Amino acid sequence: MKNRVVITGLGVVSPIGIGVGQFWKAALEGRSGITAIRSFDPFPMETYRSRIAGQVADFNPSQYLEAVHAERVDRYAQFALTAVKEALADSGLRMEEETPHRVGVIVGACMGGMVMGEREITTLYRNQKPHRVHPNFIPVITLNSASGIVAVAHGAKGPNLTISTACSSSAHAIGQALTCIRTGQADVVITAGAEACITPLVFAGFCSIRALSTGFNNDPARASRPFDRARDGFVMGEGAGALILESLAHARRRKARVYAEVAGYAATSEAYHMVIPREDGADVAATMSLALRDAKLLPAQVDYINAHATSTPIGDAVEIRAIRRLFKTRAERVSVNATKSMVGHTLGAAGAIGAIVCALALDTGLVHPTVNYEDPDPDSALHGISAETRKRPLKVALLNAFGFGSNNAAVVLKKFVR
Amino acid sequence: MAVEPDIALRIRTALGNYLKRDPKIIRPDHRLRDDLGLDSMATIELLYQIEEAFDLQIPDQDLQKLISVGDVIGYVEGRLRPSSPARATGRAAKRLPAKKKG
Repeated sequence: MKNRVVITGLGVVSPIGIGVGQFWKAALEGRSGITAIRSFDPFPMETYRSRIAGQVADFNPSQYLEAVHAERVDRYAQFALTAVKEALADSGLRMEEETPHRVGVIVGACMGGMVMGEREITTLYRNQKPHRVHPNFIPVITLNSASGIVAVAHGAKGPNLTISTACSSSAHAIGQALTCIRTGQADVVITAGAEACITPLVFAGFCSIRALSTGFNNDPARASRPFDRARDGFVMGEGAGALILESLAHARRRKARVYAEVAGYAATSEAYHMVIPREDGADVAATMSLALRDAKLLPAQVDYINAHATSTPIGDAVEIRAIRRLFKTRAERVSVNATKSMVGHTLGAAGAIGAIVCALALDTGLVHPTVNYEDPDPDSALHGISAETRKRPLKVALLNAFGFGSNNAAVVLKKFVR
Repeated sequence: MAVEPDIALRIRTALGNYLKRDPKIIRPDHRLRDDLGLDSMATIELLYQIEEAFDLQIPDQDLQKLISVGDVIGYVEGRLRPSSPARATGRAAKRLPAKKKG
């Protein structure tokens, strides 16, 4: 018998708030965290096609973290540390009472420590002094620096993994944490997703791939508009989400508060194209279907979908096609929203932030709005998408996440019933 | 060993900045690891800053000699004034860098 797995703690760093309280309040109010990028010094913003992002303003690591940890890592890992600290406190888990080897850490990250990465590369090529590359460069840019520092900060000696599957990274992190606890490798997995790569080179790269919104540079709050007819690309975001996953038995033993149960997970590859999804949505539908099967649930039981919905013309349409394909007539009755409409696309953090929204939705019965959903695109519209917050009894939620590299993830969360 | 007060002060200031401590409490006899709590990575980062401050390159084989604050001060002084009595400290630095391991 596989262990049941529950979520007992949440933490978030986002463009609409640091801390779950602030984040959730802003999300229910439909507040946008998308703003103009002040500068990519020395390049004028006019040299970038897209000039906006979901930025975490005024993040001061020393406000949340001990310098000994914060100064060892890049901004994305500082976000992870901050979100994890909140999630652990929220869960009431006391590491000094846990067996260290039974607590794992699994983090999803897409780009990693690019703030320092870009700075060091630039300096090397400008000054041509290889011996002046910073000694901390390698440990900082190595993609598992966040999962490493989280373990160091909290003494978690169980499995320590980093999942990097582009934009689906932290959805897979949650899925792998589920697997890890189900199979008995750990009692608790500190699970997170983190990203902070609104940096001159990475941002330019996403501009070059023509993935970013460019038509709303003067009206940033309206730029991320999933499912709306005027959507023209995603808006890059940054942030982190953390969830404490643990076996139900473990949570019961310590009388923990439970937000939701993680009931199922599926990981697939479309084996199709590095950046383009299959237009018919068949593989996305299959992924959702496999995750529901893993959860022993039927499509007809799903009440809510936190869509991947990045606000790209193709991506949103494919996802809706997949939902229609799998859910048939129920597609018009299921609530669907896009968290990215407010925070932008936080890449490696997106799955974790989406899962936090699912947990809060199941816990409160509230589905946050999809902002800027003003003119539903017939190709990517459903009755269950709304620009207003809706209250509904929710029992089953589905989280979608898709990544470059032809990669799909789906996670099923259930309202917790004893 | 003749110590340039300026070099000593700059090194203690660099150490103080790195450790976020008052440079005045850092003494030459303080050992980097045992007294100041620098692990090997932290020592490397400190020396990286000292290389920058004094426009030096410190070869790997010299690192093991730098146990105390005084060792670092003497070493830097020796490197900056190769003809001074502290030359012995700086001599190793003049060798070509040995092959890097790993």
